Amino acid sequence: MMENVVAFVWQLLTAGWLALLDYLAAHVLLCLLPAFFIAGALSSLIPKETITRYLGPRASKWVSYPASAVGGFVLAVCSCTILPLFAGIWKRGAGLGPAITFLFVGPAVNILAIAYTGAAIGMDIAVARILLSVIFGIGIGLIMARMFGEKTGAEADAGLFDRRAQVRPAVWTLFGLLIGILIVGTLQVDLLTRAWFSVTLPVDFPAGLLAGLEGAHLNLQGALLILMLLVIAPVAWIGMGQVMRKFNGWTWAALGLAVVTLLIAAPYVDTSSSLVVGLTGRFLGEVVLLGAVVVVAARGLERHELASWLGETWKFVKQIFPLLLVGVFGAGMVKAIIPGQWIQTLAGRNTVWANLFGVLFGVFMYFPTLVEVPIARMFLDLGMHRGPLLAYLMADPELSVQSILVTTKILGPKRTWAYVGLVTIFSTLAGYLFGLALAVL
Amino acid sequence: MLNIKVLGSGCNKCNQVEQQAVTALAALAEEDSSLEATIQHVTDYGEIMKYPIMFTPALVVNEHVVCAGSIPTVDEVAGWLREALDGAGEAG
Repeated sequence: MMENVVAFVWQLLTAGWLALLDYLAAHVLLCLLPAFFIAGALSSLIPKETITRYLGPRASKWVSYPASAVGGFVLAVCSCTILPLFAGIWKRGAGLGPAITFLFVGPAVNILAIAYTGAAIGMDIAVARILLSVIFGIGIGLIMARMFGEKTGAEADAGLFDRRAQVRPAVWTLFGLLIGILIVGTLQVDLLTRAWFSVTLPVDFPAGLLAGLEGAHLNLQGALLILMLLVIAPVAWIGMGQVMRKFNGWTWAALGLAVVTLLIAAPYVDTSSSLVVGLTGRFLGEVVLLGAVVVVAARGLERHELASWLGETWKFVKQIFPLLLVGVFGAGMVKAIIPGQWIQTLAGRNTVWANLFGVLFGVFMYFPTLVEVPIARMFLDLGMHRGPLLAYLMADPELSVQSILVTTKILGPKRTWAYVGLVTIFSTLAGYLFGLALAVL
Repeated sequence: MLNIKVLGSGCNKCNQVEQQAVTALAALAEEDSSLEATIQHVTDYGEIMKYPIMFTPALVVNEHVVCAGSIPTVDEVAGWLREALDGAGEAG
């Protein structure tokens, strides 16, 4: 009896560990690491006024709806900015419709979530998630405006939206480069995956080392990456925690280690005979782009801008990464328990009911930001169809019991329930249509 | 008499603003021991929306919004508090 329990617990822990390894693999780090820096830059270097000036009471529909949809990308990296801004757009700005669009699209186009979805589940789902949430977000906004009247804010409040802000070319360049790092790190095309040169390093590993790693389901690259993360954690803790006040050696060390981690993740490594490092297009691209980022950041950014960029980035990492690790580990364990048959029966095929199941699961289960992605991956591995999977991914960050309660306070029960109903219908539809499209393509 | 309100959902940033306000207030109280002040953290959205702001955390001194959407430094907060005190002094 006792032995069975121990064996079962061991099996669960192994499942969690395997899931964790899968998520700390090279291709996921190549997306997450740059995405955190981009999120930090968005929230610290791009003034909110660059987008709010398009959301005032005088803005035309043709401007305010698209701006609300795009606004989420720039502004909504943190959920506590969404609600006040949502209330502001509704009461003082462009009105209920654009405000609803902003509320819907914001969590969906979060750069971290999109990049992570692309790396962990697939680019098809990531792209569908952006496109469908923008289209349906505008649709839901228009319907809500039609249902409850399009009343825009008072002229007196227009001043709140009139403020303009200048973003310097250096900051845009930096952004372009960071997005470039993300794309070069994640795109699966021949130009990037092919090894243009191979370097054979004259290192002989003791057979025991590699065999030992294999026992833990690791290869050399994976083990190095995990080692790097373990080293970065304390260094960043010391170096980044105080970055708003002062830089110290640890700050530079943490940044250097982050760069090295990316460069370890980028090449192709073969250890079958001797150590062969294939310098892929990905690796060469990352070297060039990272070098350019360093130059632009050093020349173009003021000291305090650099500090707040790093500070914000670190805040996101601290806030999200630990939860993510726990979530991934947990999802791995749950996967080992739930029979795939259940999921296949409920959502194995692309039916309206299966999509509705995906949406309802998303509404009633609350997961912290980004943890929805490993959960979705777990469903996929258990046999969920990609249609319902998208429906789940769209609904989960949008609606939770908690967010419904808060939204009720701002919008009142009637508008809230209309919104919840529309989101449920549209997310179900989104998954269903995506599933159909997959079958055709 | 100072009436200070921190508007925000209770998130990390809002708590930092409250912290700054408390520190600034303590500094002022050392200069003037007769200073009277109240500080309040408003988390109710209905209440928050009565103020003309677009971003939280926001800081309100004697019903004037002095900053929104960013975390001010202690010196900045102390400056606003002094202004509010001077304004009240002249009016009274």
